[in-house]
Amino acid sequence: MSFIELKNINKKYKGNEKNSVTDFNLNIEEKEFIAFVGPSGCGKSTTLRMIAGFEDITSGDLVIGGQRMNETAPAERGISMVFQNYALYPHMTVEKNISYGLKNMKVPAEEIKKKVDWAVDILGLTEYRYCKPKNLSGGQRQRVALGRAIVKNQKLFLMDEPLSNLDAKLRVSMRNEISQLHRKLGSTTIYVTHDQVEAMTMADRIVIMKDGVIQQVGKPMELYEHPDNKFVAGFIGSPQMNFYDVRVDGNCIIFTDGSRQKLSDSVIDKLKGYDSVIMGIRGEDLKFDEQNLGLFADSLHKAAINNTEIMGNENNLYFEFGGITSVARVSKYEVSQIGDQVDFVFMPHKMHFFDKNTEKTIVSAQ
Amino acid sequence: MLTKRQKRNNRILAAVMLAASLFFLFPVIWMLANSFKPDAAITADMNSMRAFVPPALNGDFFSNYVTILTNTRFVRYMCNTLFYAAVLIVLGVIVNGLAGYALAKINFPFKDRWLMIIMLLMIVPMETIITIHFLFIAKLGLLNTVVGYVLPMIVNPFNIFLFRQVFVSLPDDVYEAAQLDHCSPIKYFFTMVLPMSQSVVATVSVFTFLNVWNDYLWPSLVFTSSDLLTAQIGLNAITSNDNTTTGQTLAVITMVTIPVILIYSFFSKQIVEGVVSTGSKEG
Repeated sequence: MSFIELKNINKKYKGNEKNSVTDFNLNIEEKEFIAFVGPSGCGKSTTLRMIAGFEDITSGDLVIGGQRMNETAPAERGISMVFQNYALYPHMTVEKNISYGLKNMKVPAEEIKKKVDWAVDILGLTEYRYCKPKNLSGGQRQRVALGRAIVKNQKLFLMDEPLSNLDAKLRVSMRNEISQLHRKLGSTTIYVTHDQVEAMTMADRIVIMKDGVIQQVGKPMELYEHPDNKFVAGFIGSPQMNFYDVRVDGNCIIFTDGSRQKLSDSVIDKLKGYDSVIMGIRGEDLKFDEQNLGLFADSLHKAAINNTEIMGNENNLYFEFGGITSVARVSKYEVSQIGDQVDFVFMPHKMHFFDKNTEKTIVSAQ
Repeated sequence: MLTKRQKRNNRILAAVMLAASLFFLFPVIWMLANSFKPDAAITADMNSMRAFVPPALNGDFFSNYVTILTNTRFVRYMCNTLFYAAVLIVLGVIVNGLAGYALAKINFPFKDRWLMIIMLLMIVPMETIITIHFLFIAKLGLLNTVVGYVLPMIVNPFNIFLFRQVFVSLPDDVYEAAQLDHCSPIKYFFTMVLPMSQSVVATVSVFTFLNVWNDYLWPSLVFTSSDLLTAQIGLNAITSNDNTTTGQTLAVITMVTIPVILIYSFFSKQIVEGVVSTGSKEG
């Protein structure tokens, strides 16, 4: 039996025609770090709030530690939560914010002091112990919220977009801190985010959602390499995967601009019965170097660079190909200028093919 | 950086405002100056600028005040009023605050209609329903009691509205965090909601104090016992006594007026903050 089981969970708000969450099934093991990720309105926060007990479950069962929790009050579910807007008590000092729950739980004063000492130390808040939240920066406030969550020794941490209010640099460092904290405490964590980078870098497993429905559950690299459908393929990875409408013709696919790409026999076998499909390929699987151009010379393509993004460690090159603006991710040494005419190839074993109607994966990269 | 013209305009504006405030302060200055004088001096100074100047500081300077404080029950009336105000502030903040919280944060049937009714009640003047209050209190046998005086004054639609307007903007996730911290709803109200809404609590407290301090009609109906009278009723009782001199009358009026002015000057910032944060003003 898993530590947390979500069985056929549905959520329908009064007055809405459609479900906000539909048939959500998921088992979470103890000490796992799970990320719910998806675009705004996909139902990830609603699901988290149902687990927390802040939203009623319309149908289905929520089981935590072997006990059905659908009707259990939030405080009795054995959870701690970190909120998007920190939800600190503005009139209380850092110390009081962290110890408030423990006091209500009638923990002896000695123990409270010990726990608060430990939390402020581990989170680097010692010098802000007697400050009020209004005198703290965003990162410090989020640390206080984390402190409030960790002192209660709960087995399950829920985090609802905890880093979305922080600037990019702070987000990266807090990401690292949360990951380390998770490893140190060993508590099960469910982390909601719309940022796929956060999900990829922190989670043991990712749950990708769209319109209240789970699209795929898997380890970060599983989702990246073997997406179940076009949505997952497009959502995970930056820059986004290039998607081309292509026609299948013999052992080739033909792009809308007439360019041809030869395919391997195994791929052609799987595409049997399809006239046209969607081909997807990630930016880093478009190659411009001499070696690859030589290796795949039978499907050489030409492009005129119309924009470049210099990222420092790598470059993104934009060009029109196959009826869309394509993006290629190249190393920082492969410098192209706007207007350059370049040859490139698709790495044949890195192409994904999706059904045009269902958008489900037909062939995934090998 | 202000331009020369803006600076000049500001100076003119300040001068005009100073003149206007002096004009409105004239009666207060006159009252204050004459409250220290014997009646003969008040009459003598009546037609000169000396009417606005207090007498020289000597042994009799505070005699009017001393007479009022020692020969009448004015101190008792003041203490009564302060006590009623304290009780009504505490009860008013709790009762109106809870009602405002319910209207802001709790879902119940016809919530919006209830709010509409409460807002409509704001336009009903106290004088129109005071007879009903009186009959009600009389039927309960509470005339001439503190409870009888306080009971109809606790609920105030305007205060409920003020609280509701502030509470509606309190973040819900703080309540959710408190729930996870094992905080009961009632404890949340007292330990989170009220401290987080200090400005509106201060505003309501000041309004309540001023209401009680300035109220004449309701205490004059409920109280007949001189032990329970408020400062305003006491003022009337003292000043209608034939033995009270004009100077003593002015001294009583000064003592009744000063707390109001002090409260306004000390809490004007909170009152403005509280009212501005609710997006409303007392009608």
